[in-house]
Amino acid sequence: MLEDCANSMPLSQDPMRYYRAKRDNARPRVGDKYSILGFISSGTYGRVYKAQSKAADAKIHAIKKFKPDKEGDVVTYTGISQSAIREIALNREISHENVVALKEVILEDKSIYMVFEYAEHDFLQVIHHHSQTLRVSISQHVLKSLTYQLLNGLLYLHDAHIIHRDLKPANILITSGGVVKIGDLGLARLTYQPLQPLFAGDKVVVTIWYRAPELLLGAKHYNKSIDIWAVGCVIAELASLRPIFKGEEAKLDSKKNVPFQRDQMLKIAEVLGTADERDWPGLKDMPEYQNLKRLDHYNNRLHEWSTPRVKTQSGYEFLKQTFAYDPDKRLTAREALKHKWFTEDPVPSANAFQFLPTHQIPPHRRITQDDAPSMMPLPTANSHAQAAAQVQAQAQAQLSQLSQSHSAKGSVASFGSNGGGGGGHTRKKSRLG
Amino acid sequence: MATDFWASSHYKRWIVDRATLRQARAEDLQYVEDPEYFDLLNIFFANVISKLGKKLQLRQRVVATATMFFKRFYLKNSYCETDPFIVIAACCYVAAKAEESPVHIKNVVTEARLLFGGKFSSHYGIKTFPSDNSKLAEMEFYLVDDLECDLVVFHPYRSLMTLCGKPGNSAVLEAEAGELGVGIQDGSQSWGTGEGRLELQEGALQTAWFIINDTFRSDLCLLYPPHLIAITAIYLTLVIHSSTRDSIGLHSSDSSSGSNRRSPRSSHSHSKKPTQDIVGFMAGLNVSMEIIASIAQEIICQYTLWERYKEEKGEASARGSFATELQSSMSSGLKRTASGQLRAASVARSRDGTPVDSTQRIVGRTRQPAVVTPAFLAQLLIRMREAKMADMAHPATGRPMALDKRLERAQNA
Ligand SMILES: Nc1ncnc2c1ncn2[C@@H]1O[C@H](COP(=O)(O)OP(=O)(O)OP(=O)(O)O)[C@@H](O)[C@H]1O
Repeated sequence: MLEDCANSMPLSQDPMRYYRAKRDNARPRVGDKYSILGFISSGTYGRVYKAQSKAADAKIHAIKKFKPDKEGDVVTYTGISQSAIREIALNREISHENVVALKEVILEDKSIYMVFEYAEHDFLQVIHHHSQTLRVSISQHVLKSLTYQLLNGLLYLHDAHIIHRDLKPANILITSGGVVKIGDLGLARLTYQPLQPLFAGDKVVVTIWYRAPELLLGAKHYNKSIDIWAVGCVIAELASLRPIFKGEEAKLDSKKNVPFQRDQMLKIAEVLGTADERDWPGLKDMPEYQNLKRLDHYNNRLHEWSTPRVKTQSGYEFLKQTFAYDPDKRLTAREALKHKWFTEDPVPSANAFQFLPTHQIPPHRRITQDDAPSMMPLPTANSHAQAAAQVQAQAQAQLSQLSQSHSAKGSVASFGSNGGGGGGHTRKKSRLG
Repeated sequence: MATDFWASSHYKRWIVDRATLRQARAEDLQYVEDPEYFDLLNIFFANVISKLGKKLQLRQRVVATATMFFKRFYLKNSYCETDPFIVIAACCYVAAKAEESPVHIKNVVTEARLLFGGKFSSHYGIKTFPSDNSKLAEMEFYLVDDLECDLVVFHPYRSLMTLCGKPGNSAVLEAEAGELGVGIQDGSQSWGTGEGRLELQEGALQTAWFIINDTFRSDLCLLYPPHLIAITAIYLTLVIHSSTRDSIGLHSSDSSSGSNRRSPRSSHSHSKKPTQDIVGFMAGLNVSMEIIASIAQEIICQYTLWERYKEEKGEASARGSFATELQSSMSSGLKRTASGQLRAASVARSRDGTPVDSTQRIVGRTRQPAVVTPAFLAQLLIRMREAKMADMAHPATGRPMALDKRLERAQNA
């Protein structure tokens, strides 16, 4: 077969044909190694599927397929996106209990498949489960356990000089064993003295509600502390079941300039009070400083906000320190982990769901069948085993759908094929560059 | 961690031994007369990558990453079964992304076509480079797969800057190195505390920098961790600067070289007590001097080998006067001084029978080998591929080309 290829090949036209044939023959195929159980979600860069390994362990995985490039209707190679390169490169280097583990990457038929360990839940889903179904707030033990583990994973990333740059509830996953797994490194970057300044690559980072004030004010330089701000927003959202700073995103103008995010800045000021040079000496150097000055003045009412939601004084102080306007005064992940809040009862545990009665544990991730078969490459052989697996998969999927018919609508929104899923447009960041 | 060398993909999967290197060239060996061509091809390819990198305005670190990708790719593939020129272009394209300074695919295609087959670069004469972006993108796809998606590479530059850079002294070099000290800070438990930061003067720092550049023209970066290469470069720099500073005229470059623009200071006052510095510095690092000595030995051999490799006229000037000058002074200077000093250190190694491999073969060579040019090597690559394809197309008929080469070699020996 390979010889045939050598035979028929005009060398002068495509010297790499033999090489490719050889590689294509040797490469394991996604369909040979995994059976697709269903479709989970589509994000900015691709679609995520639930899959079961065909190996003896039969483990469940999440497979992220990057959107294939199309020219018209024909799938073609246009170059791997910067985001995919990042996510792949960083994931290959890291390994930590609280960061989603990449099992393997399969490149096949012009598509890239990243195979991750499977996480049954995520923060967004836990929030929805509590707000829509249980109608109670998240217990202090769960809140602290989730926060502690999140910070633990973040400390690992930060020590490795990786800024996540897109922390938000949908990207922070939880296994069925109650272990937090930070996911989606598609915007993450190595930051230690980079060749290019951070802002040069991506004009907009972090979904607007979780975006730190220095980013909103147009800072050209920023650091790890933007992740800490996002963590603060995430904790506040866990504690109150709704985003703490739910601003309207001002859209990019026709020249793709980033406008002043007035509404988001206002939403922050309403809780934290107006930013002030006395607390943040660098404030006046921010490009949007003049715009900021034009906003109405607000007083800080974080204490008022916190009391019913995080209960204790140390909980309030913890939030206050993650929400320091001045990035240099914000807690670091290391400091945060040592905070008094975590030493007071209830102390966090490695299984966040440890003390939860079964009915309070959020439901399994919803999957659908709609797109799954067509989006995945066909299995190479039509063996009996595969047909059986397919049937089984469908049955499982139906079962799990049944068991979740009560779960909140909208937590995993539209499964449309245009990649527009997620929870409303504002939860999506726009990615440029 | 992405910045802990000892936990990196680089350390875990891509530091290989010599047997692996030999195995990687086994197929190609059937199609060349002289195995030393592989060493010359190493120089050739690194030069091509660096030239394409310059056209694309890639930083030194990106070029180094591209070179590393290329070398890793050919740990798994043969020259005779592939087209190294499209692989080179893909390596530059991916490296730019991996180092967060992407270039447009169209630029890469355009520049690669100009460089490899353009009117003014007749010496590669590659007319097959595809004009279609998707062909390069396709190569990228296969390349990333062969690289096993390991795209974070550690380089000696940042070790060098961590060990020797004076804060604020070498802004340009520091920026080029990027991510300072990675693999040193985190790996300190294994090889010294890093507290003995050696202050090299600008000129010496640059010498070390250039030595590191040159190591990418050998297989050293596949064999040894980057910090050991950096330390060897520093060691060689101190050796040169202490005993041959006056005779090899390194500082004459300060006035002539465009790459030296940042430092108005002349480099006359390099390390004042170099001998002491070497001893103290090396002792503080807590690395095996034997390994450093053998790396140094290989670097010296590399410079010797380099004398066989000649870029065509015209092209030579494009290399930059400093680099050329440095190379020649290095190869002569080192032969006179460094190798003498290193001899003692390497005795231990040869005595216990460790093969010093190609290094000895080259050093010990008596017959004057023919000079080799890029045009010759480009032709060689095409001939290798044609022979391989012919063998595959007609496996049953006649005597395979590969066998011819083996006979030829046996007869020559
Ligand atoms: N390991 C996993 N286990 C289970 N579900 C997962 C896993 N990884 C991702 N998902 C699901 O897929 C969704 C999209 O994944 P991911 O965030 O990695 O993609 P994305 O394209 O970068 O999306 P976004 O633009 O929303 O950040 C997640 O919000 C989550 O619901």
